[in-house]
Amino acid sequence: MSMKWKRLGENVWFLSPSIVLTAALGVYPLIWMLRYMFYDYAGYGEPLFIGLDNFQRLMRDGQFWESVGQTFVYAGGKLVLTLPVSLLLAVFLNGKLRGAGLLRGIYFVPTIISTAVISVVFYTIFNAYNGMVNTVLMKLHLIGQPIDWLGPKYAMLTVILVAVWGAVGNYMLLFLAGLQGIPQDLYESASIDGASASRRLWSITLPMLAPVAQLVIMLAIIASLKGYESIMLITEGGPIGKTEVMYLYLYKLLFPVSTGSPVEQQLGYGSAVGFATAVIVGAITGLYFLLSRKMNKMY
Amino acid sequence: MNKLTKVAGRTIMWAFLLLTAVLTLFPILMTLTGSLKTGAEMMTGGTLWPSKLQFANYAEAWKQANFARYTWNSAFVSVMVTIGTLLVAAMAAYVVDRRTFPGKSLYVMVQASMMFISVGAIVLRPQFEMMVALHLNTTLWGVILILISAHSSTFFMLLGFFKAIPRELDEAAMVDGSGFARTFFRIILPLLAPGLGVAGLFAFRHAWNEYILPLVFTMTNPQLQTLTVGLANLRYGASAAMQIHLMMAGACLSILPMLIVYMVANKSFIQVTAGSVKG
Repeated sequence: MSMKWKRLGENVWFLSPSIVLTAALGVYPLIWMLRYMFYDYAGYGEPLFIGLDNFQRLMRDGQFWESVGQTFVYAGGKLVLTLPVSLLLAVFLNGKLRGAGLLRGIYFVPTIISTAVISVVFYTIFNAYNGMVNTVLMKLHLIGQPIDWLGPKYAMLTVILVAVWGAVGNYMLLFLAGLQGIPQDLYESASIDGASASRRLWSITLPMLAPVAQLVIMLAIIASLKGYESIMLITEGGPIGKTEVMYLYLYKLLFPVSTGSPVEQQLGYGSAVGFATAVIVGAITGLYFLLSRKMNKMY
Repeated sequence: MNKLTKVAGRTIMWAFLLLTAVLTLFPILMTLTGSLKTGAEMMTGGTLWPSKLQFANYAEAWKQANFARYTWNSAFVSVMVTIGTLLVAAMAAYVVDRRTFPGKSLYVMVQASMMFISVGAIVLRPQFEMMVALHLNTTLWGVILILISAHSSTFFMLLGFFKAIPRELDEAAMVDGSGFARTFFRIILPLLAPGLGVAGLFAFRHAWNEYILPLVFTMTNPQLQTLTVGLANLRYGASAAMQIHLMMAGACLSILPMLIVYMVANKSFIQVTAGSVKG
């Protein structure tokens, strides 16, 4: 009996730091949100219970739904560019290639740099008037006039390109790990049978990579829906809200984007928005999970 | 014909690989050259290389723009977060891997959902209130504790490493009269060193690069700001246009330590990303 209690005591002391921290700073904030989404609460004074009013407001909040649409454009654009490029890089680097180690190192560098820091850099080099992107493009005679990268027409493309820049190396590495799990003798016997390189790619590499790719794509979807830090630093959601994704919209309900700029804190409504964003991300992830399982069965 | 397509294929492949490498390095190169130009040069733009290398920019950023303070704060936060995360996650992972106890699957489920639920910035408010209640909002410990509390990915990473250490080792130690905690700290933890090294790299990188959390917590307390926050404030500052050269120097100061860590630990970085599949 005492042995059992001793073991239990040991378990408790080893787990308690993790449990206390997770409960206080991970779970409690979620419960806090689930409560205040039914309140009118500005962050000071007495919170007022208003039932579902915040959700009615959410339904009618055009700015929020626009930001949801922008989130899909941003995430979709990021995925459409990141996934094929990183997969191609992984396939090329997986072959016996001179300098593969060096190239892999170069492609991986963006993933160790702070999103915030490099976003400040991108903000300056995409500047239409004195930014280095226009300078280089004009020196190479690729464009005749400076492009207004942060203007209404190109701002979304710019923030997508920045996101792709930061993500490619990471997904390349994950794909590379998947590729290295494919048995080499499959390729050898295919070569003996006279299969061409593209044939081997379609008939061996891609099908064998499917399980890993499924997981990697899911991670990529979640990450691309969640990102807003670099947008905040490059365009602040502008111009005229063109790049305001839903998590940035939420942030602006709670905190000033730059120190000093005024913000009317809306913690009650912000809680409702936070809940809605989690539901949207959860629904998309769940949908993808179901679809990819169906696809699995088809093969 | 066959040979021709092969040559064409290789050319396209190399063009793609090299173009991607150039585009990857471009902003980093621009940061480096920008940090060595004068403020006026940056403002007018149009030049590729600095007319004269302005190493004084670094001294200016370090002293006048307060980057010495920011660097110290970043280093302090990152080191504490790394140690704390590893300790908390390793202890939990050890018990979860070696023992059965009531609520184990609930614990694992909560940790897993912590990685997937994302409600954005709203959690910062209750977290802040918590730190005010503990009187930690005027120190960096609030930021540190919150970063440590997000240890679920480290937990799962270490769980994998624990599985590779045979249970017979624990049992042998116990038979020799070593207690549970002693066995863990003296025998198992040293064996976990490679796993702790790579998980630590990730924790350090995450803390060093974190922006929104320290931003919100230090808005009214410039003395506590980290490199990311201090740098971003330059961008929002009234004289931002005249300080681009300082921004670039500051960015270099922030990137360099991670780059050095990366070059030293290149192999393990790549191994773990490959092994753990982290978003």
